Amino acid sequence: MKDKILLNILQGVQDKEGYLSEKSLKEISKKYNIPISKLYSVATFYTMLKTEKQGKYVIELCGSPSCVLNKGRDIEKFLEKELKVEIGETSKDNLFSVYKTSCIGCCDEAPAMLINGEPYTKLTIKRVKEILGELRKNANT
Amino acid sequence: MQILRETKLEGLRLAKKIGRAKVLEVLSKKGLVGRGGAGFPIAKKWETSLGVKAKERYVICNADEGEPGTFKDKFILKNNPETMIEGLLIAAYVLKAKRCFIYLRGEYDYLREELEEKISEILKKSKMKISIEIVRGAGAYICGEETAILQSIMGNRGNAMYKPPHPTVEGLWGKPTVINNVETLTCVPQALVYDDWNPDYRLFSISGDVCHPGVYEWELGVKMSTILDTVKPNGKLKAMAFGCFGGIMPVNKNLSVSQNTICKEGCQHGAFSIIFIGEKHNIVDICLSIAKFYTYESCGKCTPCREGTIRLVNLLKKIKSKKADKSDIKLLKEFAEHIQETSLCGLGRSCGNHILTSLKHFKKDYMGYLK
Repeated sequence: MKDKILLNILQGVQDKEGYLSEKSLKEISKKYNIPISKLYSVATFYTMLKTEKQGKYVIELCGSPSCVLNKGRDIEKFLEKELKVEIGETSKDNLFSVYKTSCIGCCDEAPAMLINGEPYTKLTIKRVKEILGELRKNANT
Repeated sequence: MQILRETKLEGLRLAKKIGRAKVLEVLSKKGLVGRGGAGFPIAKKWETSLGVKAKERYVICNADEGEPGTFKDKFILKNNPETMIEGLLIAAYVLKAKRCFIYLRGEYDYLREELEEKISEILKKSKMKISIEIVRGAGAYICGEETAILQSIMGNRGNAMYKPPHPTVEGLWGKPTVINNVETLTCVPQALVYDDWNPDYRLFSISGDVCHPGVYEWELGVKMSTILDTVKPNGKLKAMAFGCFGGIMPVNKNLSVSQNTICKEGCQHGAFSIIFIGEKHNIVDICLSIAKFYTYESCGKCTPCREGTIRLVNLLKKIKSKKADKSDIKLLKEFAEHIQETSLCGLGRSCGNHILTSLKHFKKDYMGYLK
């Protein structure tokens, strides 16, 4: 498949549906004539592609040394405690999926995280509390 | 800052006026080398690709800046994307490429929409009949490596491949492919247009225990005291790490920062990302976080890297939990050396740098944890 970029196709579907379900992958397989095993092999290689249902908000906390030096671990512990999850899990109310990522390139504004791809920087526990509160409020309206 | 100078398609106009051969001559004379870390002369890279007979040729702008502590390409993407796109157009003109790609890391996806708009705007102005497609990276550090980026664009897992063949000779779909990073391509029109363009300016990404982290531009050979006076240490500094891959060394105010001086300490400057580490931190803790990064990012293709990075984490955890003795330190060093010697790509070949350099410069921190 030379004229289409598979990563862009997969990301496009994930944008719409939140993750790459078996049904979507079967459809992509049929449409572009790519074996489903190959699609799974590619989708599971990239950490930002998800093959399982995700929370409404996907949090990717930066784990770079710059964030670690700026108390990033405190944010990690707070998120786990507050959302009652471990890294890699989704909260029971299906609102938040929490991951740790290598570096999101916001080292000059550490500690930082992405929520649904948008950067949130210069985090403090107080600020994270506010952000989560805001997101919960938005989810209910 | 030199990197923020705009060229407003004047570089492309000039390139077309003087012709391909002359562009290569100018870039070579001006001393433009790649900014991704290897420092390979750009004119030589383009010439190699042009020397291969092929009906199609591709150009990739590597915007997969994944090295922890590095954010200077994001700075360009935000503040001077027009000049970078113009650099890509000049590359396409010189290399006779009809299809170009910008491989944008997934963590920078929020910059994509604006970048897409800029691309269409500039393509329209340039009247060039080529395509520039953004490939949406998806969180794999290894895809910054040039053979992995090819696999990723071709719709495969981003595994690194053996070289040769080099991408310049045999890249995307078997055709010659030139890969340059964001900073390098931005320099292309600037080097062509401005007589006073300085090839020794580099962007530095500064972070860690300092009061003014950020992107700065300094000339190669800049004194560490100048850097520290600008970024202001937040307390007493103990060490500096060059991203995750470049190793860790003590902060020396008299050091003049260049490839040679950093290499002397066993480190590599890479893309000039400096993470300053304050005295309150134990280097073993920092090394453990870096070692975890490598386990997470190893593509898993070659055994020394896939298995070795896990063993390094386990040994560091053992040291940190005060269950290790001197023989574990010896083993840690041997492991790090062995993985670096036997791994396939740059990731595996650098995954022990932080351990080897910290053992050289900060052995005390390790010894303090022994049982």
